[in-house]
Amino acid sequence: MRRPHLRSLLPAGVVALAAVGGLAFSLTAGAVGRSTSVQTAADSLTPPPIHYVTHFTTGQVKEGEVLFEANCSTCHGTRAEGSAVAPDLQGLGPATVDFWVSTGRMPLADSSAQATDIAAFVASLAPTAPSYPDGIPYVNTKDANLQLGMRLFVLNCAACHTITGAGDALADGAYAPSLHRATSTQVAEAIRTGPGNMPVFGPGTLSNRQVADIVAYVTGVIQHPDDRGGLGLGGIGPVAEGFVALLFGVGGLMVVAFWLGERA
Amino acid sequence: MSTMPETSAGTASGNGAVAVRNGRKQSPLDAGLTWLDDRLGVAKGGRTFLDKIFPDHWSFLLGEIALYSFVVLVATGVFLTLYFVPSAAQVVYHGRYKPLDGVKMSAAYASTVHISFGVRSGLVIRQMHHWAADVFIGAIAVHMCRIFFTGAFRKPRELNWIIGVTLLFLAIVNGFLGYSLPDDLISGTGLRIAYSIILSIPLVGSYLAEFVFGGVFPGNGDIIQRMFILHVLIIPVIIAGLIGAHLALLVKQKHTQFPGKGRTEQNVVGSPMFPTFMAKTTGFFFMVAGVLWLLGGLAQINPIWQFGPYIPYKVSYAVQPDWYMGWLDGALRIMPSWEFAGFGHTIPFEVFLPGVLFPGLTATLFVLWPFIEQKLTGDRAEHHLLDRPRDRPRRTAIGAAALSFYFVLFCASSTDLLANFFGISLNIVLWSFRFLVIIVPIVVGLFTYRICLDMAGAPRVGKRKRAMVVLRTPEGEYYTVESEPRPGEGHEELEPAPVPDFIEGIAEGNGAGETEPGVRRVGR
Amino acid sequence: MSDEEQQASQGGVATEGHGGSEPLPLASFDDPHLQPLAKHPRRAEVAVAALLAIGVLGFAAYEGITLGVGLFAFGFGLAAWGKYLLPQGPFVEQRHPLRSTDDERAAMAAVITERGGIAVRRRGFLGGILALGATVMGVVLAFPLLRSLGPVPKKSLDTTNWTKGSYLVDSLGRRVHVTDLEVGGALTVFPEGFTNDEVDMAVDQTILIRVAGPDVDVVTTPHRATWGPDGYLAFSKVCTHAGCPVGLFQHQTLQLLCPCHQSLFDVGEGRPANPVFGPAPRPLPQLPLYVDEDGFLRAQAGYDQPIGPGFWERTTRVHYA
Repeated sequence: MRRPHLRSLLPAGVVALAAVGGLAFSLTAGAVGRSTSVQTAADSLTPPPIHYVTHFTTGQVKEGEVLFEANCSTCHGTRAEGSAVAPDLQGLGPATVDFWVSTGRMPLADSSAQATDIAAFVASLAPTAPSYPDGIPYVNTKDANLQLGMRLFVLNCAACHTITGAGDALADGAYAPSLHRATSTQVAEAIRTGPGNMPVFGPGTLSNRQVADIVAYVTGVIQHPDDRGGLGLGGIGPVAEGFVALLFGVGGLMVVAFWLGERA
Repeated sequence: MSTMPETSAGTASGNGAVAVRNGRKQSPLDAGLTWLDDRLGVAKGGRTFLDKIFPDHWSFLLGEIALYSFVVLVATGVFLTLYFVPSAAQVVYHGRYKPLDGVKMSAAYASTVHISFGVRSGLVIRQMHHWAADVFIGAIAVHMCRIFFTGAFRKPRELNWIIGVTLLFLAIVNGFLGYSLPDDLISGTGLRIAYSIILSIPLVGSYLAEFVFGGVFPGNGDIIQRMFILHVLIIPVIIAGLIGAHLALLVKQKHTQFPGKGRTEQNVVGSPMFPTFMAKTTGFFFMVAGVLWLLGGLAQINPIWQFGPYIPYKVSYAVQPDWYMGWLDGALRIMPSWEFAGFGHTIPFEVFLPGVLFPGLTATLFVLWPFIEQKLTGDRAEHHLLDRPRDRPRRTAIGAAALSFYFVLFCASSTDLLANFFGISLNIVLWSFRFLVIIVPIVVGLFTYRICLDMAGAPRVGKRKRAMVVLRTPEGEYYTVESEPRPGEGHEELEPAPVPDFIEGIAEGNGAGETEPGVRRVGR
Repeated sequence: MSDEEQQASQGGVATEGHGGSEPLPLASFDDPHLQPLAKHPRRAEVAVAALLAIGVLGFAAYEGITLGVGLFAFGFGLAAWGKYLLPQGPFVEQRHPLRSTDDERAAMAAVITERGGIAVRRRGFLGGILALGATVMGVVLAFPLLRSLGPVPKKSLDTTNWTKGSYLVDSLGRRVHVTDLEVGGALTVFPEGFTNDEVDMAVDQTILIRVAGPDVDVVTTPHRATWGPDGYLAFSKVCTHAGCPVGLFQHQTLQLLCPCHQSLFDVGEGRPANPVFGPAPRPLPQLPLYVDEDGFLRAQAGYDQPIGPGFWERTTRVHYA
């Protein structure tokens, strides 16, 4: 049986996407607040905005040890004690390790389950330092305040990640990554642990409630923006718009003029 | 019948034509014309107007893109004024966009969100307005390039060049005012920079800045009303008036033309105003409007609801102005930090130079260019035939260098985006631009000069070539002939003739010409 | 009226009046200049009709895209009509000299100098008063307009609301405690009591960062030995270049970056926010902090220099380290 070749469907898909663009995006706006929140069995009747998973099964730790041995120990050492080429991971807490592995910043990104296992193993080696969360945060965005989330996002995040979450280059080769593919757990981990050059936002700066609001805004609105009005042009603003205006607007009309007028 | 003596009036043929006309039944059109002409004498100027000749070269249509974009701008702008509230008064938004529901914001921002979400067709009109502004200024720029590179600004058209330059800068200013009106986070940041630029002017800067904004930034909120009245009334009225003057001068001085068969400094060759040019240009208007409508409906521009209202201590990264302000933003970015401080005063050259002096100098140079060139070449003659750019290598090289200079500055306004996109260090990108902005224009200028000289040396460069057709005779002999002219080329080989007023045969009901026997087919 | 003109006007047409009437151009219907460009005019006609019809349909189905397509198709049809079916000429029109004759110029000049001379030359005094009046009126009218626009700056650009003892609060008005920020954290703060007015917040905005743990005094320059208690540093958030909020804190490289024009400031031990890259000319002013007995962060004093971009009246008190 012949299956339709994916590539042959691509142009049609693009056209269809363009045609229904406005409609589709206006529908996705309704998905705001219903984003990927992980509910664990421990949730009570009034779930906290963020549930930190601090305890891991011995199976997870064992699995993590195997993975760590195979993939991480060459640089970080068998007990994650660090080396000349890689930092000491002891005491950084499971959230830090989970973030770096699950986002692919460390060269292993098979699945989030593996990242959790490795995090469980590293967390089992030493107690977490007080400035790091001692668990992997799972965010409940159901009761989040989207308005406050937007307000806090614009104040604390947009300066680097841009208002549309597209990310941009910082000084000296650093860059703020795009938020468009981050999971709710990863966003919360980044806020709490401050990976790389990102500032750390501890509980004194942003409460769990506020972090949940920001996460809801990122996973809801930033990742599914209300892009009514047609194609979003990458969310990088006037530069892209200028090119479209000059290329398709002025350029297109010049082609029309070229047809309409005399050419010699 | 097109060769008539130029001077003898009332010849037999002329009388014959009148006789033909008089022999016809009086139509409602004739009656209407008679009524109007009795009162206004419209037939005199009217006929001259309808006979007016417009050269047909495609590059002469570039200004029309700008003209028709302006028409679209006015039409869509009027629509927007029906819903936009030019006020900084704080209101609480309750509308369809949930992340802003219940948020305090200025009435200007709230009404713009409302236009995008709550007004029927509001978003498409708003986007069309914005696209039209981008296209308007882009069309002015390419139109101006055409004028520059073909020498159309030379005597007697220096005044119209100056009007055109004024229009360009007014359009840029009005564009900036327009996208600043919604009071969203991005445009508010732009206003903050504008305030700092005004502030940088020596001696009067702080007074001017506080007068314009009604106090220390962000001021007392009056700025929105002030920008509004400038944007929707004062500047558009000046632009409309100058466009009128631009066109009036065009009519008075008649259009320039490229050299060609039968074209001299003393005549204009092309299509008559009525009906040929009128049909083309009206059609072109609809096409411009159509393209703008499609852009407005298909491509998102300035989604202000995603940005949130302007709050002075908040900022987004990757903020750029609209493309036509990019050269200024780029200049601000790559300017070294040269601040003068001494004698109890500060002159912030790092802002004043790129933000005030540089655009001022640009405008002055643009305005004075016809006179500068006159001085350099000593050519004070009237010109109605256009130059081919390659025949004026020095001017073309200067123009190309200037264009590349502004283009590099434009690119410099997105240093961060380039660094992000290509994964290189921001520092390297910035330093590259500091050098590129000097090197690129020099290289482009020299290169262009060289190309012009080479093209001038080679015969028939740039001429449209006809395909050569190789034929074989039944005897097996091969020979080549030039292929038939392509559509549109045949007419150019005819000797230009005056526009006829009276056409023999049409009054007798020869409607469908192409089937008539004896009709000469042209050019094929 | 001459006979010729009479005849012309009877025919419902007038002629151009350049040195007598010109002939009324006449052409036969099969004149090559009048022929359409299209190879097959009938087909072109059908195409034009189709395009116009699409246009009309597009207008009628008014909604979003169809109107745009309709406009374009309608215009396309009309333009194609003009290009392919209407006479293409080429037609020619004569230019007439733009300049007037010498006599006309002389007459015009004479009107101004001689007739105008009657007014001015004999009544120079009156002319002077007229000019004076216009000038005075202009100035008098311009002045209140200008003055009504805004206040005179006075010292408004030199000061902020930060004073000795001001509590640091976040944008919601909550006081900042010394335990609030982790090392590597950043927070935008304001003086307590000034978080309601936009102008206040625009001027006072300050970026509080923490670069070291408790009991470490961060010394940016020797004479600011006590300004950075418990690892905290505070700098004006208004860029010294063009006034954008310097919102980006890179906590590993210890740098503040301005998002607008990418000025970069070094902060931390021995790094008093000097601009190291980009167009900013001056360091960000530093706010001296202390931790009170309850553990709240407060300002020892206001800024020791005007914040934000340069301006003419700014004194030369520039604190480079």
